[in-house]
Amino acid sequence: MTQAIQAAPLGHYRFKHVVRSEVVKILTLPSTAVMLGLTVVAGLLVTGLVTNAALHHGSGYYIGFDPTQEALTGLIVAGLTGGVFGALLITGEYSSGTIRSTLAATPRRPVLLTAKIAITAAVMVVFCELLSFVAFFLGQAILSGGGAPSASLGSPGAFRAVFMTGLFIALLALMSFGFGLIVRSTAAALAAFVGVVFVLPLVMRGISRGDVRYLPTNILVNSVMSTVHQGPGGIVQPLSAGLGLLLMAIYAAIALAAGAVLFARRDA
Amino acid sequence: MITAHSLTKHYGATTAVHNLSFEVPPGVVTGFLGPNGSGKSTTMRMIMGLDAPDSGAALIGGRPYCELVWPLREVGGLLDAKAFHPARTARNHLRWLALTNDIPLRRVDEVLDQVGLSSVANRRAGKFSLGMSQRLGIAATLLGDPGVLLFDEPVNGLDPEGIRWVRHFLRGLAAEGRTVFVSSHLISEMSQTADRLVVIGRGRLIAETTVADFVSRSGRGTVRLITPDLAAFAEALTGAGATVGDGDGASLTVEGLSAPQIGDLAAREGLRVHELMPITVSLEDAFMELTQGEVEYRPTTMAGAAAAGEGE
Ligand SMILES: Nc1ncnc2c1ncn2[C@@H]1O[C@H](COP(=O)(O)OP(=O)(O)OP(=O)(O)O)[C@@H](O)[C@H]1O
Ligand SMILES: [Mg+2]
Repeated sequence: MTQAIQAAPLGHYRFKHVVRSEVVKILTLPSTAVMLGLTVVAGLLVTGLVTNAALHHGSGYYIGFDPTQEALTGLIVAGLTGGVFGALLITGEYSSGTIRSTLAATPRRPVLLTAKIAITAAVMVVFCELLSFVAFFLGQAILSGGGAPSASLGSPGAFRAVFMTGLFIALLALMSFGFGLIVRSTAAALAAFVGVVFVLPLVMRGISRGDVRYLPTNILVNSVMSTVHQGPGGIVQPLSAGLGLLLMAIYAAIALAAGAVLFARRDA
Repeated sequence: MITAHSLTKHYGATTAVHNLSFEVPPGVVTGFLGPNGSGKSTTMRMIMGLDAPDSGAALIGGRPYCELVWPLREVGGLLDAKAFHPARTARNHLRWLALTNDIPLRRVDEVLDQVGLSSVANRRAGKFSLGMSQRLGIAATLLGDPGVLLFDEPVNGLDPEGIRWVRHFLRGLAAEGRTVFVSSHLISEMSQTADRLVVIGRGRLIAETTVADFVSRSGRGTVRLITPDLAAFAEALTGAGATVGDGDGASLTVEGLSAPQIGDLAAREGLRVHELMPITVSLEDAFMELTQGEVEYRPTTMAGAAAAGEGE
């Protein structure tokens, strides 16, 4: 009596089954709405405040002014809350013990993890792109309404900056997911994420100014969000947007790969 | 059918399970018995593919867990009462589980009804009492209507009513022809629930047998006899090949002859019998006898008290 008493469908569980269940998992957690709602509110609030503060200055203020970058500033906050969201998607399973139910239901770990990462990536890319564009339009509306220089998606580099910023925040969330997979605890994952993204730049600035440009935060602000070639006569040029985004993708991939190797080997 | 082949698992310097082999057949409740820390949960985690054995294998219907095609339709496991997210409702927990194995969503309400949680299906599972959590865990095991079920200490924290319910429920599952494997460190619980026993101590197999056999093996069939004809009876019994021990001056303890045999002997010899009692050793005693020295964590003060008690 080893087969099920009730007739089972042909074949076996697949990627699509895991994806369906992971979607339901995300949708049925109150923390999803809370974290994503918080991300929208905080992101747009910061964009609103920053662009508002850029109004009504003398004309000298607007030399080298980058309306696109100004409007996207709120996405830095989204990077923080999005990172928390990404980590929670996996550490929440460990802290609650759900991971054992998950592995009992779908024990093939590569299939399970691929589906989980795919869902996290899809949710974050769609969400962050939407937020990035909304922040851009909100910021431009405030700037132009206040008579300050503003940009449109047709302005040089603007579309590229808005689009890549969305991708970048999604990659930050995936890196954080990778941290969560490695350490399996919410507190430790968030410490690692905040450490790398927000504390490391401060520490490194004191040690080696040149290398700061390889850090996620600096790539985001100076390479990805920016449409104006920065630093007149600056010693250290920021990376190009494309190279910066690629580097961030590599960071996320390293964190996910390390987590995946551990996930495949470790006892649950 | 669950089969364990020479399972061995170390955690650092601790040997949690050592060279453990046993079988769990369908149609009966098999109890998995052992003192605290003897490796029951570890063994169950290895059967469920959660922990990898250092050597050996655990198979379900001849296949390792991770090769099952529809795991939830083949095996239902309750390894710990709180393997759900506290913020999700009971129904939503079961919904995502059902989706993983393409189980029709109507099963969610069916199993909630079966365990008596229908009225709280939309409450957050984190707010559940321990008993309700256990029931939700049991509901999850039933989702895919599996032929093999594992429960790790399912009555932990339940009130007598809940314990009765689980016991009845497990026996029902076995009666339907399913393979039911239940761990406990409470021997009294197992004696009322299980038909077969797998007994372990310090991660090693101590016995794999039926409950009845487990008791009689340790009991060796001692009979207490009360008679006014002490001396003559002792002589007749010894003559018939029995071993006779002195009682309290009015009784004898007899080994090697059953109560009916002693009665027949009395009739032949014209000896008076006032009382004749087979002494059945309780499952508890049998367990204690077998696991002597196999207890992982024995509080020193209690060990001292037990030693003093034995001396009386
Ligand atoms: N994840 C782990 N890491 C380290 N040691 C472990 C781990 N799991 C179990 N052990 C050790 O392995 C041994 C067996 O533990 P296990 O939990 O399997 O026993 P048990 O029979 O289920 O006990 P109980 O009746 O208390 O539930 C113990 O010594 C325990 O400390
Ligand atoms: Mg245990």
